[in-house]
Amino acid sequence: MTKVYLIARRMFTVFLVLTAFLAQGQERTLTGKVTSSDDGSAIPGVNILEKGTTNGTVSDTDGNFTISVGSNAVLVFSFVGYASQEVTVGTQTSLDVKLQSDITSLSEVVVVGYGTQQKKEITSAVSSVSAEQFNKGNVTSPTQFLSGKVAGLSVVRPGGDPNQGFTLRLRGISTFGANSQPLIVIDGIVGASLDNVDPNDVASMDVLKDASAAAIYGARGSSGVILITTKTGKVKKEGYVNVNYNGFVGIDEVANKLTVLSADEFVARGGTDYRTAGAQGTNWFNALTQTGVSHTNNLSVEGGSGTTSYRASVNYRKTEGIVKGVDNDRLNTSLSINNTSLNGKLRLSLGLTYNDRNQNSINLSAFRYAVIYNPTAPIFEGAADNRDGGYFQRDLFDFYNPVALSKQQKFGGERKNLLSNFRVEYDIIEDLTVALNYSINEETGLNGSFWSRRDRVTGFGAQGQARRDTYNNTSKLLELTTKYTKKFGDLNFEGLVGFANQITDSEGFAVQTKQFLYDVNGWDGIDFGSQRQGSGTEASSYKNANTLRSVFGRANLNYKGTYFLSATVRSDSYSGFGRGNKTGYFPAISGGVEVTKLVDLGVVSQLKVRGSYGVSGNLPPAADLALATFAPGGIIDFDGNTLTTSDQYVTLRQTRDANPSLKWETKTEVNVGVDYGLFDGRITGSIEYYTRTNKDLLFGVNLPAGAPNPFDPTEPANVANFAWANIGTIASGGFEFSATYNNVKLGGISWSPSLNFTIYQKAKIESFKVGDLGPGELRLATPGSPGQNANPMIRNKVGETVGNMYGPVFQGLNENGGYVFDSTDPTKWGVIGNGLPNGELGFSNSFSYKNWDLSFVLRGVFGHTLYNSYRGFYENRDAGSRTWNSVTTSKTPFVTSVPEFSSLYIEDASFLRLDNASIGYNLPLKGNSFSNIRFYATGQNLFTITNYTGIDPEVRYSDTDNGDGFQTNLAPGIERRNTYFTTRTYTLGVSLKIK
Amino acid sequence: MKKMKKIFVSALTAAMFMVSGCEAPDQEIFDEIPRATGLATTDPTALAAFAAGAYKPLIGTWGAHNSLWSMHEVSSDEMVIAIKGGDWTDGNQWTRMHEHGYLPTEESIGNAWSYCFSAIGTINNTLKSFGGSQLLRAELETLRAMVYLWLIDAYGNVPIITELSTDPTPATKTRAEVYAFIESSVVNSLPLLPKQKTYTTVNWYVAQTILAKLYLNADVYTGTAQWQKAADASKAVIDGGVYSLESDYFANFKTENAGSVENIFVINYDQVNGQGFNLAQMTLHYSSQATFNLAEQPWNGYASLEDFYNSYDNADKRKNSFLAGPQFSSTGVRLKDASFESADPDGENLTFTPFISAIKPKPGNTFGSLRQQGVRVGKFQFQTGATPNLNNDFPIFRYADVLLMRAEALWRLSSGSAEALSLVNQIRSRAGVPALGALTADDLLAERGREMFAEGYRRSDLIRFGKYNNAWWEKPTSVASKNIFPIPQGQILVNTKLVQNPGY
Repeated sequence: MTKVYLIARRMFTVFLVLTAFLAQGQERTLTGKVTSSDDGSAIPGVNILEKGTTNGTVSDTDGNFTISVGSNAVLVFSFVGYASQEVTVGTQTSLDVKLQSDITSLSEVVVVGYGTQQKKEITSAVSSVSAEQFNKGNVTSPTQFLSGKVAGLSVVRPGGDPNQGFTLRLRGISTFGANSQPLIVIDGIVGASLDNVDPNDVASMDVLKDASAAAIYGARGSSGVILITTKTGKVKKEGYVNVNYNGFVGIDEVANKLTVLSADEFVARGGTDYRTAGAQGTNWFNALTQTGVSHTNNLSVEGGSGTTSYRASVNYRKTEGIVKGVDNDRLNTSLSINNTSLNGKLRLSLGLTYNDRNQNSINLSAFRYAVIYNPTAPIFEGAADNRDGGYFQRDLFDFYNPVALSKQQKFGGERKNLLSNFRVEYDIIEDLTVALNYSINEETGLNGSFWSRRDRVTGFGAQGQARRDTYNNTSKLLELTTKYTKKFGDLNFEGLVGFANQITDSEGFAVQTKQFLYDVNGWDGIDFGSQRQGSGTEASSYKNANTLRSVFGRANLNYKGTYFLSATVRSDSYSGFGRGNKTGYFPAISGGVEVTKLVDLGVVSQLKVRGSYGVSGNLPPAADLALATFAPGGIIDFDGNTLTTSDQYVTLRQTRDANPSLKWETKTEVNVGVDYGLFDGRITGSIEYYTRTNKDLLFGVNLPAGAPNPFDPTEPANVANFAWANIGTIASGGFEFSATYNNVKLGGISWSPSLNFTIYQKAKIESFKVGDLGPGELRLATPGSPGQNANPMIRNKVGETVGNMYGPVFQGLNENGGYVFDSTDPTKWGVIGNGLPNGELGFSNSFSYKNWDLSFVLRGVFGHTLYNSYRGFYENRDAGSRTWNSVTTSKTPFVTSVPEFSSLYIEDASFLRLDNASIGYNLPLKGNSFSNIRFYATGQNLFTITNYTGIDPEVRYSDTDNGDGFQTNLAPGIERRNTYFTTRTYTLGVSLKIK
Repeated sequence: MKKMKKIFVSALTAAMFMVSGCEAPDQEIFDEIPRATGLATTDPTALAAFAAGAYKPLIGTWGAHNSLWSMHEVSSDEMVIAIKGGDWTDGNQWTRMHEHGYLPTEESIGNAWSYCFSAIGTINNTLKSFGGSQLLRAELETLRAMVYLWLIDAYGNVPIITELSTDPTPATKTRAEVYAFIESSVVNSLPLLPKQKTYTTVNWYVAQTILAKLYLNADVYTGTAQWQKAADASKAVIDGGVYSLESDYFANFKTENAGSVENIFVINYDQVNGQGFNLAQMTLHYSSQATFNLAEQPWNGYASLEDFYNSYDNADKRKNSFLAGPQFSSTGVRLKDASFESADPDGENLTFTPFISAIKPKPGNTFGSLRQQGVRVGKFQFQTGATPNLNNDFPIFRYADVLLMRAEALWRLSSGSAEALSLVNQIRSRAGVPALGALTADDLLAERGREMFAEGYRRSDLIRFGKYNNAWWEKPTSVASKNIFPIPQGQILVNTKLVQNPGY
């Protein structure tokens, strides 16, 4: 019976296709205009497609269109922000269509893990941002588009180093020592590198915020997930081609220069005067910095024919930093091809992206020395070939000419990234689709480092030093999914099961030599270095590989468009887990009710109340942490005579103590939310409240020194006295609000404001110990040298917020100008700050008036403090004043004693910043060759309102300078002295669309 | 409906099967050596490397800043790290160390504990894997006893961990129990140990020197003196005739000191193969980089006390253990410090003066010590062009020390001992100072101080002579509970069976 039905169905389909084909034969031309039902204004760029065919067109700038159609054609008009409309053409030859604005976007499709879902059905916390809403300006990373756009998502890059990536945090801190950045998924490729996609190729981004939404990504979802969908070609009509060009030039300048003493002021205060007769001294900021010029060119071609569509793009970006020696250039090409066959039942897609990135950087301490270097000193002194290469230098502690440093140490690298993705989908029967996905992401890098023999800091002692290192990282992902969709009366069911196997492999080696006669070759002639062993040299290689094997499933139920339920589960088995804990399970369930379907709420056009519960996880930061292995333990010289080498061997050393019970972190999160629409969707938004607990947090812990292994006494005794373990629990929560008012009409001006804000319930440490293991309390992050090496600023204590700063409270100055503190006894100190924010706010606005458009984004972060290390070291009139220049701010109290850490240097860093503002003009076009020409100008980081007196009030989620890299999440709120100066960027660009 | 159920059940079964069949493979190791593979070797050289590897952790932090050596030196009357302007404040840990105000949270106290017990862990793992050889067992158990000698001296009451221990949180043992453990470990091993000269490994004489040290301090460690045993153990070393005094005192401390006939056991430092002896960085002034053409700028930290420096007769050759007076570059140019303080009497010129203004800033003194103040440790040769990791081997046991230990033990037994006097005069004669006619406690302590300066024994000597709690420069009198250091706070946090020492 079923078989007969299937055959009948197939024949019917063939009949339909034939009919359509025949109908296409009787073509005629239809013209018309698309306008907005709100104000009758023309809508350009509306997609017009003959239903069931690939025949289509796009309305021009005046909303007019022309299309050849068959007699029984049904046209589908669609445009972002408006409800799609179907019109049966009948016998008309002209057609005017009014599109209803549809802000609720009830039909909007949201990308969720392993598929898409209609927004109206979603019952967990998911935010979508489409290309129109992206941040403007010189955007170099896709995540930068999202800054200030998604409640609960922080995208920050303190300072303005163009070679540094962005730090992402979703709903605050989620781990102690494991990955704290959201998982990146690009077109379904889990864990792909952000390098793989040029911002210009991004179509939309979706953020999975709660554990319920992220549970489908199992043991990698607990820091949230960002799904990036790239642009693909579409067959809008036969032979359709669309060419887009976007290019801009930009300039970068220093946005915030710290104020330091002038040469005269410095000498008057007791500083050493190096000025010779007639010399002026040096403004070291100006000597170090420049105006950086950048340019970017993007060209894309998309189109299609018959059953095949494509899109190809090439992007070239060149960026110069505000310091000579810091720059990068990037080439990114991408190609995607889609093909359907077997009457649309078999769908193939191929995606290829290639990225080549060259970058150069300097030793960032040059920024520190530019602030504190003696302002009376000249840049140059003596002959160019002298010991210091002609630069002014003196034998003083921590005293290096910043210009020399920026020239005499060089760090460069090139990395190449190739991502290939192949996908096949086949509809076995109408409701059942299987898909196979295979992707390889391959990244190789080749870096060089060079310390000139004239370089005072490192190179002089080493007589020149050079390093070369290279690496190759490969990730291979195989996924098999099956999707089943079925309607049972009023109940829509969608089910998904899948299997995935991901193998990640990273390997590389490094060589470093020293003692060169010439500075000529740098890292290109590393064999000119005579010393290849001992300090300052290296010969090493590494390789790590791991496997993650997963099974996952999801069921979505939609009853009458009113009641929604979704359940997912994933199991992740990871080679890097301890032998006692090979597989983790991550379930989630969520449900919601569309209240307006049950009761009439008047002006409330949408009110979906939903709740979710989910579990997601986090992997250990490396795959071999569960095992005790032997690492190279240094050379043994049996006879103790270094001249005879035949008796020298590398001994074995246990560098890590085993933890065979090591496992994943677990986050459980409850999220309740409301999606609302008012006045027929003119105002839309969401409200979320979440509470979550992250337990079994991964962290490196000290073990009782030399004692038997605490996890398994049959393992070797502790030698490293250190192992990774699941030891902590934190609890956090938050409230998120977003609202968008679409197209407020102010005369001829249309305004769309969009506001979002978050109030954080900061992560509280509930436990920092398992059994006897774990520190219970962790003190870390000392200010540093000179003189402040052993006083940790941060104490992480059970029952308190992560990252609390402890120190004495500054109460004033004594008669000698020394500090007066409430107590000098560290046991009596209280909390004097916390670097995590209480709240964040994003306010985006776009205006349009005739051919003009304007947009700006204000972003605010509130309630966090920062340790201002420039003040903490260099504002006192103390003995160091002879050597180092001082910063002067509105908060400088003129202390005469040596700098000591206290509340005096902890500043409220709340700020409100105009992140970007852009103005554009669309050239009115009558001709046919260009469908659109747009000129635009953008400014980024235009102003900041803050009481903070350091370099950048931006939140520091992590600290890179405390000596223990993995502890960085636990030391927020420290602005270190090597911070790259903040930049302000202006860009001027043009975009062309040729059809 | 029944069909649905059947489909559901089979789907569930299939899913279960898939899940259970989907465990990831065991983690492979590519760039390290899996433990079992490493231990499975039968290659004699590899086995010898394992044995030698048990000594490797000793290189650790002994000669580095902020560990055991720093604790012993800065808490004594021969060394100080004074605060100089803003530099070396470091949470006041070094002023506390000198003033005997040390806390269980001091970094150095935690580092030293980890250093010692990492060595013990490595020795135990080696014994567990390769303990079949009686000779190797004797050697490593003696080496372990040496590390316990450091522990009993510094912390007193510590856990005893052997290759047979299974408790991951071993409990504190009393100082007397630790004493007995050290004694029995060495005594039991003695018959198996080689009597020929070794240099970086344990032999019969090293074992006897451990016993001599243990017995000499037995009164401090257990309350029962063992002077005769100390005298006997020292005599065993002397009678062996394997070691003798170098005619040049400084031959024991030069860059290539491997040929010293006086050094009995050393930590085998090397700028390539054994990194961790950083004395040049630790003591020299920033500008002294030019004196020795050092690869890196030194830190201007450790200096000696004026009174200690003055305890040397000007004729005493050992007074060259200090760098004092005007400083010059390797080419003879007078060194300058442009960042000199306004209080500096000779301004820009760099001169190491014995006088140090103060250990820390005080009312009327905003800087503490001037940057140039304090004579520096010059006892170990700083090779021209040295990297921060010096090549000099660090003597843990030295024949001169053995002579002085026997002298002291004999003097304790009988203050008129002629042999004691002659042993001390043997040491004085090499130093170029006149012989003494009789011995007092002060003579012995002072002679030990001058001879053993910067070798990490001054604190133990002061305790044994009852002087450790006295007041000296920038140090008030202290209580007897300070005679052992506190158990590190970090260790008590991870092992609740550790008992904090009294008074902390």
